[in-house]
Amino acid sequence: MQEKVEAQPILSMNSVEVLYDNVMLAIKGVSVQVPKGEMIALLGSNGAGKSTTLKAISGLLKAERGRISRGEITFQGTDITQALAQKRVEMGICHVIEGRRVFEHLTPDENLTAAAPSGMSRTALKVEKDKIYAYFPRLAERRNSQAGYLSGGEQQMLAIGRAMVTQPKLLMLDEPSLGLAPFLVEEIFGILQKINREEGLSVLLVEQNALAALEIVSQGYLIENGRVVMHGTAEALKSNSDIQEFYLGGGEGTDFHNVKHYSRRKRWLS
Amino acid sequence: MDWVFLTELAINGALTGLLYSLFAIGLVLIYKASSVPNLAQGGLTMVGAYVVLALARDVGLPLWLAIPLAVVVMFGLGFGIERVALRRLAGRPVVMILMLTLGLDIFLRGTTLAIWGGTSRSMELGVSYDPLFLGDIFVSRIHLVGAGVAVGLFVAFMLFFRTRTGIKLRAIADDYMASWSVGISVERGVGLSWALASVVAVAAGVIWGEIQGVDQALSLLLLKGLTVAVLGGLDSILGAVVAGIILGVVENVGADFLDPLVGGGSRELIVAAVLILTVMIRPHGLFGRHDIERV
Repeated sequence: MQEKVEAQPILSMNSVEVLYDNVMLAIKGVSVQVPKGEMIALLGSNGAGKSTTLKAISGLLKAERGRISRGEITFQGTDITQALAQKRVEMGICHVIEGRRVFEHLTPDENLTAAAPSGMSRTALKVEKDKIYAYFPRLAERRNSQAGYLSGGEQQMLAIGRAMVTQPKLLMLDEPSLGLAPFLVEEIFGILQKINREEGLSVLLVEQNALAALEIVSQGYLIENGRVVMHGTAEALKSNSDIQEFYLGGGEGTDFHNVKHYSRRKRWLS
Repeated sequence: MDWVFLTELAINGALTGLLYSLFAIGLVLIYKASSVPNLAQGGLTMVGAYVVLALARDVGLPLWLAIPLAVVVMFGLGFGIERVALRRLAGRPVVMILMLTLGLDIFLRGTTLAIWGGTSRSMELGVSYDPLFLGDIFVSRIHLVGAGVAVGLFVAFMLFFRTRTGIKLRAIADDYMASWSVGISVERGVGLSWALASVVAVAAGVIWGEIQGVDQALSLLLLKGLTVAVLGGLDSILGAVVAGIILGVVENVGADFLDPLVGGGSRELIVAAVLILTVMIRPHGLFGRHDIERV
């Protein structure tokens, strides 16, 4: 597995452990680096600890009675392990949480307004909104309808747009492809790539849809049972036979193969 | 049918109804910003009235100074309630927060009883009680003043919820987690809504205190205020105003027809019927937001 060496990652997470309710260990020493301006994917199956990793970074753990019990997270060289979620947003970390979660009773335009940092001037907000509407023309068309009645794809776009209003330097997305038709996933991922390119925004993407994710990121981490079991460039991951069989739907999945995979999976955990 | 008399009943009913709205606006403010029905609004209203009296009678300030000062005090109290009591419960089930507001109401009643006793005190705003005739119709001046205050607050808050801060409060009511994720301070937002509701409580406390005297009974306004808020839709300020007028008119006109038949006391029955029927037939009230269900 080839490891890319970066000069100064924008985000660096070292051996972080997260406890829920002081008893349940959700991630067990996860280390992830996001190089500045790159797109990174966290892959893994349900319950592997991907969302918990994002919440540890954004500080939203606290709302779910979780806490970081070991390890540290630095963002642009500053230790943020125990910082408040609000502070982290101000510093430039924005987390698009799972399930879109737009403000349903507000219009898309108000959704964007709600996320505006308190110091942002009226004109700056206007400029920011126009920029977001340019990335997501579908939102512009429906800017004054009720957000709860937008389609799933439009809501996901709104959730991303809403995060962009906070002027993030690191955008984290939790399963943006969930429940969306493949052409919409492609559209949204395409826009993400464009934003990454044009704004120099670093992106940390959590996905179960590894196939789609590996098409747009430069590196990926594979998480299993709360641990990083594999890290490499997107190319390397795509050609890895385990990844192909477990996550990309390749390989010939007979019962006999599954037995073999299980022992291989075991080996990662040790 | 005596049309002049009926009109008079309707107009005075509407004015009284607007005074219910004045109270209900406080409930709506908190619901709009945190999706919690505040059962302590009655207690807050009573405290608002007592604070005005304390500043005016006990300290000896003129009323025009005592009322704004009370507004400041109550604004702080609202923030304090969030900081001390509600913050720990953010994100917990609404039932728990509801029980907390109930406990708070009991606490406020107990505290006012301990400090100021149970005897009724008068507000003495200086509004004349001479009858005011609009044509043939008699109207009460204090009710007219109160209705004006209610309409004024209604306009002010309608505008407020279009400002950026107001939009953030509505966002908080929609989704705490999503609000945190984009850096909205949910705690400060909820605190602000309590502070504003406490300010409304001063207005309602002063007007109602003038009408019925300042004592423990002021906190019982919660029942009618809650009925108005539920009928209006709990999160709609316009709803609170319209529902207040409807309840006031129905109550006043209805009682005039029903009281001779049942021998009095039908007002309370009408209010109860409105509350129960609203919840049964139209749970989100006249203007309340509907929960959006997606297939």
